[in-house]
Amino acid sequence: MQSESHSHFSSEELARYSRHIIIPEFGLAGQQALKNARVLIIGSGGLGSPSLLYLAAAGVGHIGIVDFDTVDDSNLQRQVLFTTEDIGKSKAYQAQQRLQALNPHIDITVHELRLDSQNARELIRGYDVVADGTDNFPTRYLVNDACVLEDRVNVYASIFQFEGQVSVFNYLYPDGTRGPNYRDIFPEPPPPGLVPNCSEGGVLGVLPGIIGSMQALEVIKVITGVGEPLAGKLFLFDAASFHTRFLKIRKNEALTINELIDYQQFCGLDKPELPVPEITVQELDNWRKNGVDFQLIDVREPYEFAIAEIGGELMPVGQISSFLPFISTDRKVVIHCRSGVRSARAIRELQNLQPFDNLYNLKGGIIAWSQEIDQQIPQY
Amino acid sequence: MILLHHVLSIFLFEFSVLQMPQVRFTYALKRFFPHLQDGRIDASSLMETLHHVDRQYPGLKSYILDEQGRLRKHVQIYLDGEPIRDRETLGDPIGPETEIYLMQALSGG
Repeated sequence: MQSESHSHFSSEELARYSRHIIIPEFGLAGQQALKNARVLIIGSGGLGSPSLLYLAAAGVGHIGIVDFDTVDDSNLQRQVLFTTEDIGKSKAYQAQQRLQALNPHIDITVHELRLDSQNARELIRGYDVVADGTDNFPTRYLVNDACVLEDRVNVYASIFQFEGQVSVFNYLYPDGTRGPNYRDIFPEPPPPGLVPNCSEGGVLGVLPGIIGSMQALEVIKVITGVGEPLAGKLFLFDAASFHTRFLKIRKNEALTINELIDYQQFCGLDKPELPVPEITVQELDNWRKNGVDFQLIDVREPYEFAIAEIGGELMPVGQISSFLPFISTDRKVVIHCRSGVRSARAIRELQNLQPFDNLYNLKGGIIAWSQEIDQQIPQY
Repeated sequence: MILLHHVLSIFLFEFSVLQMPQVRFTYALKRFFPHLQDGRIDASSLMETLHHVDRQYPGLKSYILDEQGRLRKHVQIYLDGEPIRDRETLGDPIGPETEIYLMQALSGG
């Protein structure tokens, strides 16, 4: 992928990149390829933070950052691009400022937008390589398909709790053929709710540091042609055991991608969920004060219960059907989780199993209880 | 003589255990099945293996297979590092020393 076009390195740049340039396999040609490259990083969160830092430091000449989000305090345990002072500010612009301070010799373009089927192809067309560090299935399939349609390499990484995955999709081999893509491993996304994301299931902060750095490594290898890119293979890393594994990806020749589609619909996220009866934390507080007879159920995980609890009976949402005999039918039942999403899902599942008409979702979950009723309850 | 017989029995038992396919799980599956552990299963087909695993971890089979018994599209099964070919009926052959690896898509970033 090393480009034929040349630009000149200033003496400051030569000094800055000297540890690259003196690697025989890398040399000035490798550094020149980095300088000529245009790389689009989609998502500047857990994975985007380390990959952006390393790619900017390495001297990738033009970096695009796609992110519409703002910095939240729960990001700072892993998103090392940002500081406490950045809370509430635009991730993409804060990232640009930090990276420009790290390396003033490169150009950085901010795309503060939500990537969708209307803008993805045109945006990706303007770059040589894409690195996917998004946090949801619709965008992962969108990025994959847009890269296939625009003939761009997609350097993929994803994480959850202690586990990470890395691969190089749609790689251009010297014979002109393209390597496998994401759909060759996972043809379709999981049904909604079956695979939790990091905000529901958590992630060890250092994990995206490791996996995002590997993503940056693969981007550099693709650009410079140095080393052997992770094409046709999926690399798995289990941080808990330090086990690693390479899995072969078999290209499915029958699978074709002809156009971008509605990815929310593809992932089953376009259907409005049936509303469930709700009560507010003030109403629940009044029920308690007035001695109303009700059952309170907490559908979070045991480790969340250990952080903060408000006296509910623990019945994790993943096993809620097995708790059916313990759920009252002759009095009101209030079900809560952290924010109200999982408890609504639990109510729908229970109503599918049995015609309950006494289940109430606690609006805003334990977070709302902490904010509005009892500030002694920790928020997490 | 009794001691020798005893030692031989242990050896043969351990050898027979080692001749069973080994099932390994991706870490992310522990989210829904927290007690999940890798292990050897006495089974001669992939479907039989999943039946055994489901008895040990109820619900795991329906997480991996859809209502028609096909492999869910976000799940992959690897046999000795190679993805299975038959996602519809799981007819890929397994041997006594096959490593069966179950993994799934992750979305976090």
